[in-house]
Amino acid sequence: MGLSEGAQHRIAVVLADVLGEPLDVAREVAAFLDGYLRRVPFIAALGLRVVVWAVTWLPLLFVGVPLTANALSSGVRARYIRRWAHSRVYFLREGFYLLKAVALMGWGVQAGVRARLDLGPVAAVRP
Amino acid sequence: MTATPVGRRAGSTPALSPSESIADYVVVGSGAGGATAALVLAEARRDVIVLEEGPVVRDADRGQGATEAFMRLFRDRGTQVAMGRSVIPILQGRCVGGTTVVNGAIVWRLPEDAYERCFGEAGAREVVPLRELERRMERIERDLSVAPAPDRLLGGNGTLMKVGVEKLGWRGHAIRRNVLDCQGSGRCLEACPTKRKQSMEVTYLPRAQALGARILADHEVRLVETSAARAVAVSGTRADGSPFRVAARRGVVLAASAVQTPCILRRSGIGPRAHVGTHFRAHPGTAVAGVYRDAVRSWEGASQSFEVDEFRGQGFKMEVVSLPVELAGVRLPGLGEGFQRSIADYPNMAVWGVQVRAEAEGTVAPQGDRSRIVYTPSAADMARFRTGVERLAELHFAAGAMRVYPGVHGGPDVLRSPDEIPLLRDLPLDPRNYSLIAAHFFGTCRMARDPDAGVTGFDGAVHGVRGLWVLDASIFPTNLGVNPQHPIMALAMLLAERIAG
Repeated sequence: MGLSEGAQHRIAVVLADVLGEPLDVAREVAAFLDGYLRRVPFIAALGLRVVVWAVTWLPLLFVGVPLTANALSSGVRARYIRRWAHSRVYFLREGFYLLKAVALMGWGVQAGVRARLDLGPVAAVRP
Repeated sequence: MTATPVGRRAGSTPALSPSESIADYVVVGSGAGGATAALVLAEARRDVIVLEEGPVVRDADRGQGATEAFMRLFRDRGTQVAMGRSVIPILQGRCVGGTTVVNGAIVWRLPEDAYERCFGEAGAREVVPLRELERRMERIERDLSVAPAPDRLLGGNGTLMKVGVEKLGWRGHAIRRNVLDCQGSGRCLEACPTKRKQSMEVTYLPRAQALGARILADHEVRLVETSAARAVAVSGTRADGSPFRVAARRGVVLAASAVQTPCILRRSGIGPRAHVGTHFRAHPGTAVAGVYRDAVRSWEGASQSFEVDEFRGQGFKMEVVSLPVELAGVRLPGLGEGFQRSIADYPNMAVWGVQVRAEAEGTVAPQGDRSRIVYTPSAADMARFRTGVERLAELHFAAGAMRVYPGVHGGPDVLRSPDEIPLLRDLPLDPRNYSLIAAHFFGTCRMARDPDAGVTGFDGAVHGVRGLWVLDASIFPTNLGVNPQHPIMALAMLLAERIAG
């Protein structure tokens, strides 16, 4: 189970706004999500894939706009993301944080991000 | 065909030939309990086969970052969770050496109060005396080079906790760790990249192997076979999907963890259903971050270097938790530019955890190829979390933090002064508002004198089945409130000595 190119593009636009990163960084994160989904056990992959789908396709439910999340204006998309992050419904809120957690794994391994935070390489340099 | 020794590549495990598929003792699991039992039995010149579900830890697997550690070394690639009122990640190692490969190297001698609460109240004082456990702990400490983290390894994270503790007059100390000549790479949780951590795959397992024990990676045991109420063999599946069976002349030792051991017993139809997989206990925890004026650089030094046991009597302890940036960022407040502002503080951030000796009990049962864990912290446990978060905020400010991120939904995103700490007294007590994670699992095959009250006797032998023992944290009657690797090893050593005769 992975993410098609279209799905990666759509979620990358959302992740760019979640993480405050340029779209090219977010595209790398979306590609990481695709790889992650292919590596984890099916049940975990299914849960995350459902979250990716829901975050992409449910603006109608959250902000009343019948578009996918990537097609929203930036102001509406920011409001949409806030509603996920602060939802009173536990499983919606946790779904969002699951997506953020996995996205951060793909974000934290990027050389540019690590250099910005003065971190060393992801893998240890052995003496 | 020969057995795959530790050190050979995982995934190339050949089948045992029929003549090799038998040993005096078959040990299931290679973590703290299994490795210790295997060494003791091998020292007694018994023929031992250790079966480990996970792969061999190759040098190339070490220190590869949090994501690769999850993928290569953790159960379910780090996605195992307990379901209940909230979803709680359950972290366990799944590799040769088990969780000892991926833990923080924290060693606690079993304190008398914890012993009394766990073994004393269960009526095990005579059979499992504290002084006998202490003798084993002394040996283990020598074997694993246990010593307090020196000042040079406290890192910015541990040094700040020490400063806060001294200002508040709380009881705290450098963590005693099983590391020999630590290089301070801050990567204990990714499998020590320099092999300085004295985890089982670099200590007891090679020693057992040198004495003749055969250690087979990628062998998942699913069933214990019995004949005439005696354990005679185990069977299961290799990583490549092929089946295997290993017979035991003298017996089977289950040490597959408090999650896996009860699942094997359940699948095998062994043990009282009222107790196998029930009484699941844990030490759930959560973290609070503080931002400091000067750089903390928490990725330098020992991963976990300092702890506070001032509140152990109240059911929680605190410790340094040096989280990698990708994990530290999950609960930081802010989206978009707000997240960038929060995460920019990471180099100046100290992250400390509160770990609760939870009174809640859960259940574990096999569900297809996985384990189903059901667990919800009780209201009293959540009250301990609320107090613990408040105390951690107090400690951060005492250490000089400019800002504190409590990380609890429904509470303040950030505290900017100690005057705001009272706001935390109103934090909700619902586990769904907290970002909990659990480690240290106990009780799912608890020992009891009476077969009606537990799964094994005080000698670790499963009631009603000869030649079958459980030597892992499953048999602890309850949780300890301190890090359990050392007590698990001491108990496994004591009971394995008795098995070896």
